[in-house]
Amino acid sequence: MPFFRIRSLLLAGSLALAASACVTINIYFPAAAAEKAADRIIDEVWQTHENQPPQAAPAEQGAGQ
Amino acid sequence: MAARIAARCCWLVLLALAWVLPVQGIERIRLSIGDIRAPGLSVQGVELQFAAGSKGPELRIAHLALGERAWRGLHLSCPEADAAFPEIRCRRGEIRVGAKRLPLRIDFRFDPLTSAFDAALRLSSGSTVDIRHDGGNLVEVVLTRFEIGELSGDLAGFAAQVSPALAAELAQYAAKGTVDARLAWRQAGDAGPHEKLQLQARLSGGSFSSPDGLQAAEGLALSLDLTARALAAGWDWQGRLAWEGGEAYLHPLYLRSGPVLQAEGRLNDDELVLRMATLKLEGVDQFALTARIAREPPSLQDLTLSLAGGDLAILGPHWITPALVPALADRLRFAGHVGAGAEIRDGQLLSLDLVFDGAGVSLAGVDEGGEVRGRGLAFGPLSGHLPWSATAPTRASLQVQGGYWEALSLGAFDVDALLDGGQIAFGQIRIPLLDGALVLDGLALEHGAEGWRGQGGVVVEPLSMALLTEALGWPSMSGILSASMPGMRVSTGEISLDGALVVSVFDGYLQATGLRVSEPFGVASNLRADIEARHLDLAQLTDTFSFGSISGYVDADVKGLELAGWRPVAFDLRLASSPGSYRRRISQRAVQNIGALGGGGAIAALQRGVLSVFDTFGYRELGFHCVLVNGICEMNGIAGRGRPDGGFPIVRGGGIPALDVIGYNRRVDWQELVDRLQRVIENNAAPELH
Amino acid sequence: MNARHGVPGWMRWLMAGLLGCMMAFAVQAQGNLEIDTPAISALKSSMQKRHGQLAPLYASGAIGLAADGSIALRDASAVPLAQRGSVNALVAAENADRSALYREVARANQHPEWEADVRSTFAQRWIDRAPAGWWVQRGGSWVKK
Repeated sequence: MPFFRIRSLLLAGSLALAASACVTINIYFPAAAAEKAADRIIDEVWQTHENQPPQAAPAEQGAGQ
Repeated sequence: MAARIAARCCWLVLLALAWVLPVQGIERIRLSIGDIRAPGLSVQGVELQFAAGSKGPELRIAHLALGERAWRGLHLSCPEADAAFPEIRCRRGEIRVGAKRLPLRIDFRFDPLTSAFDAALRLSSGSTVDIRHDGGNLVEVVLTRFEIGELSGDLAGFAAQVSPALAAELAQYAAKGTVDARLAWRQAGDAGPHEKLQLQARLSGGSFSSPDGLQAAEGLALSLDLTARALAAGWDWQGRLAWEGGEAYLHPLYLRSGPVLQAEGRLNDDELVLRMATLKLEGVDQFALTARIAREPPSLQDLTLSLAGGDLAILGPHWITPALVPALADRLRFAGHVGAGAEIRDGQLLSLDLVFDGAGVSLAGVDEGGEVRGRGLAFGPLSGHLPWSATAPTRASLQVQGGYWEALSLGAFDVDALLDGGQIAFGQIRIPLLDGALVLDGLALEHGAEGWRGQGGVVVEPLSMALLTEALGWPSMSGILSASMPGMRVSTGEISLDGALVVSVFDGYLQATGLRVSEPFGVASNLRADIEARHLDLAQLTDTFSFGSISGYVDADVKGLELAGWRPVAFDLRLASSPGSYRRRISQRAVQNIGALGGGGAIAALQRGVLSVFDTFGYRELGFHCVLVNGICEMNGIAGRGRPDGGFPIVRGGGIPALDVIGYNRRVDWQELVDRLQRVIENNAAPELH
Repeated sequence: MNARHGVPGWMRWLMAGLLGCMMAFAVQAQGNLEIDTPAISALKSSMQKRHGQLAPLYASGAIGLAADGSIALRDASAVPLAQRGSVNALVAAENADRSALYREVARANQHPEWEADVRSTFAQRWIDRAPAGWWVQRGGSWVKK
């Protein structure tokens, strides 16, 4: 009888472990990607262009032609 | 308030003087008075000195405390004085506090025989305070051009006596304004058994602002008429307060002058009771209320109000939209009339009753850019009763005489609902629509922290497509539209419908499932669905859209259809000839139109060539596949029939004469395609002249 | 299939479960979030249009960027009295769009339950990206950047 009890405990424990391991599994919120997405949207809404080329560039091109 | 404190203070001093000066034949008086204490006032070490022929009477007060403020060593002296028996007169008197002279002059006249007293304080700002005591029971205080800002310290001190919480609030509101007031205070006596107070006050150029500007007023003009009578239970008062000028922002309401409050009630140490009050307000015929307001801390305990003849066209934009749905201020419109009753007990809303009479509400449509556009959604005129109670479920009943949703007119319908706290359970709502109806079954909504959510079922009783297409201004189609969607779920920002919407049209049917409406009332409103169409008769279809003539049947599957502003923005459309045996012919015009959609010039050659002698061609199958993403239609033809040269057949010929239509451009701008289709349809619909 | 010999049935289930779990661990969203949907575009353009009206209000301190990803009317005294109501409506409309945006971003990526995470990520980025002079909410109080 004691054997069965231990076994059932083991079973319950393993299942609980497995279950808890499984519970933590979901697709993590991709924080870095979300930040990138937020920045893109913020750029558009606020019309901020951090990588805007310097103002002089088109003028030089124009002069070269 | 300022008037009251001045009155109270002077009254006590005068009273003190009156008691100690009942003497005649004054040559020289020197009086010392003990301490005077009253709520909010403490006077210690009062000494009055008067000698005939000397430079004038002098009054010294060792310590005066008024509210939170205290002064030491007050000294009143009169440079111009005379004692024309029995009066003592003082002109251009000065008051010093310690070594500092206050910026005011005082003229006074005092008759020790009758105790009559008359004093005028002239402040350097130009404002004056006149205090008159008739020696009997009457004290009058007149304030002329009295600046509130100047005395704000004293005001706060006084307010602290009334209510420390109120004072703390008040101290933050930089209140300004000019007060003209006349206060008459009659002690109980021969004229009447009760102490009486009469106040007429006018505030002009008033303003205040909380630090965050959410509670503020400018250019305020108020006039107050108040009479009060002291009884054992407190002051019985009645008065009229009129807001005669200026504007105020009491978050989130912007209000303008106009309202007049007429009220009567009682004031005692614990509370202010409005027994009966009426408020004259723009857009309301009658507005009556009663209230009980606790004084410390100031809080609304009980309130009952009743409103009759409320004009929703005025109340809507001024009160309802800002308070309930400010985000929709530009789009929401109201009409008709409302009556209302509400009851608050111990600070909690107990019941609310609304009665609508010919009321209407409309929400204008909005395009993707957020601009107001289209007819939107409207209900009305509607009438009925909407009671709500915190303690028991109530039954609401509204009769809606009609409405519209964009181009569709809605018929008359009734709404019955059981309201229980934050839950609403609707009875069946059957909204007539064309020759059918939209039926909402067992709709139940619940208001929680995240807004409204709920569920129910939707049934569309059969509508004729002929009427629907006519109403929408589409090419006329015959057929029937119906829907049974028993699983409708409503949550913040989304309505999803389980079940199917079925349109029997063009001899076949079209079935939409997985319908989901996101952000139904916002700019991002979109509709998603999967559509399955079977056995559509191409002859009817092409005829309807004036697209030449094709005989035969097609099946179509549209997966992941997404409409924004009723325009498709994403889908995966697969169109193929229906299985079975039937006549398959395609007219030359249809071929040309298909070619025109492709934008190619190849068709022109076809027209001039040998094939132009034939009117129709046989075909074996039709197939078309378009995946719309980001405005680009990724095209393909008949499944599994791609050609080595990159072309894809859309029509595979068969019979005599046979003709293949092959596409080569796999990426087509969707808008371009729609424009071409529109042109093709227009050109075909127009009468042709040769 | 006799449970008495070999691996007991429950053990096999457990193994399979654990293996499944281990494999599932490897699943982690990577790359970019989908933000090119028509709904998000519509919200962006609506917000972009509104920004023209909001920008001077950010600069004057009348409104600020709140810690919860919304905007708030924090000092209405910077706005003429008669316009405070319409500024409040503007703030409410912007917040309605922002809430819809956070929902739509989560929805567009097939994870509606990410809404709160999307909101807090945006909240942080709005605040971090705000130009100097704007007011932002940090630790419950308003600070000027």
